[in-house]
Amino acid sequence: MTDPHYLTLIHAEIDGELDEHQRAELARHLLADPESRSLRDSLRRMCLAMDGVAAVEPPPQLRSDILQALPPVTATTVGAAARWRPAPVWRYAAMFAAALVGGALLFRAGVGRGPDPTELAGTMAGKAARPGVIVDTVQVDLGQVAGKVSLYRSEAKLGLDIALTAGEPVDVLVGSGGQALRIAGPRAAMTLPGPWIPGQVVDLSFVVHGRQIGTAQLRVPPDR
Amino acid sequence: MLQENDADLVQRCRDGDRRAFDRLVVRYQKPVFNAALRMLHNPEDARDVAQTVFLKVFEHLSQFDPNLKFYSWLYRIALNESINYRSHLKPTEAITGREVDRAAGVERQVESEQSSQVIEQALMRIQPEHRAVIVLRHFQQLSYQDMAEILGLPEKTVKSRLYSARQQLRELLLEDGVC
Repeated sequence: MTDPHYLTLIHAEIDGELDEHQRAELARHLLADPESRSLRDSLRRMCLAMDGVAAVEPPPQLRSDILQALPPVTATTVGAAARWRPAPVWRYAAMFAAALVGGALLFRAGVGRGPDPTELAGTMAGKAARPGVIVDTVQVDLGQVAGKVSLYRSEAKLGLDIALTAGEPVDVLVGSGGQALRIAGPRAAMTLPGPWIPGQVVDLSFVVHGRQIGTAQLRVPPDR
Repeated sequence: MLQENDADLVQRCRDGDRRAFDRLVVRYQKPVFNAALRMLHNPEDARDVAQTVFLKVFEHLSQFDPNLKFYSWLYRIALNESINYRSHLKPTEAITGREVDRAAGVERQVESEQSSQVIEQALMRIQPEHRAVIVLRHFQQLSYQDMAEILGLPEKTVKSRLYSARQQLRELLLEDGVC
């Protein structure tokens, strides 16, 4: 058992923090104590191995994924930033009125054209287009189906990122807010319809050859 | 060309300049991704965490304390996200608790040397707080001063935590017949 004092000196030596006097003291101790010498050598080898691990390049699309996921309200340019100076009150009033009128028109135009509210119509999207912050993730380990499913949120929407590997065709049944959706395939990214609410639960069932092999649940944190 | 410093870029972000944020992403995506990778030992998880870190930074730039170094704040968020990410992974009903083994077994192509693979696998078996100091010191090559700022701890505590972490790691490697 190496004395704590010498143990500290060994670590400090690895970090290159010993002065001449301490280095001599440690050297004398290591000469006299083979156990400490062995400990010092193995710690040193281990640290050198870690120091020598090269940094890994991040995935090439990471940067664009991050930039695409930024909230649009702050996605502005330098030129636009200059326009953020306080505007007269009447200008805000006019903008508010215009937004009300525009919103009412859009709402009327959209009535009756959407899907049946009991049919959940998610929007499929490529993985690179995932536009939000992950709020919950489930690790799937069901034998023939493995991987993970993440729930993410953008400003107004929830989305699912399904990244599974499966030896057989797998369907994921998604239930949320009284609606249900079946997603085919081991990998998919999709946006769930409707705005998200804090504490919202998304139920998942994993189905292979028509048989449910496992379930999981994702949840939006209550405080988000 | 003179490189813009972090403080200037942060200020420009706060003024609504999205390109300044892009510069910060370019500058720090690699260290953030690597810190998450060493914490989680899974490239896909590290990618998710790195993305979440930058989005959180963007959303909370107004709360950034300019007395801190920007990268210290960034690393702090990255470590917390990595620790939280793993603790929030929930099993499916049929899961058998082999999460760590699975994570250690996937996409090993990111490591080039067998010894570093063994060490990194052992790293996953020590406490996240201990893993964090190892990652900052040996994989990110940060000084004790920077580590103390990132972790919000006195330098002395950081050193003592690092020493314990190294000891634990060595003992695990000894058990595996490596060290």
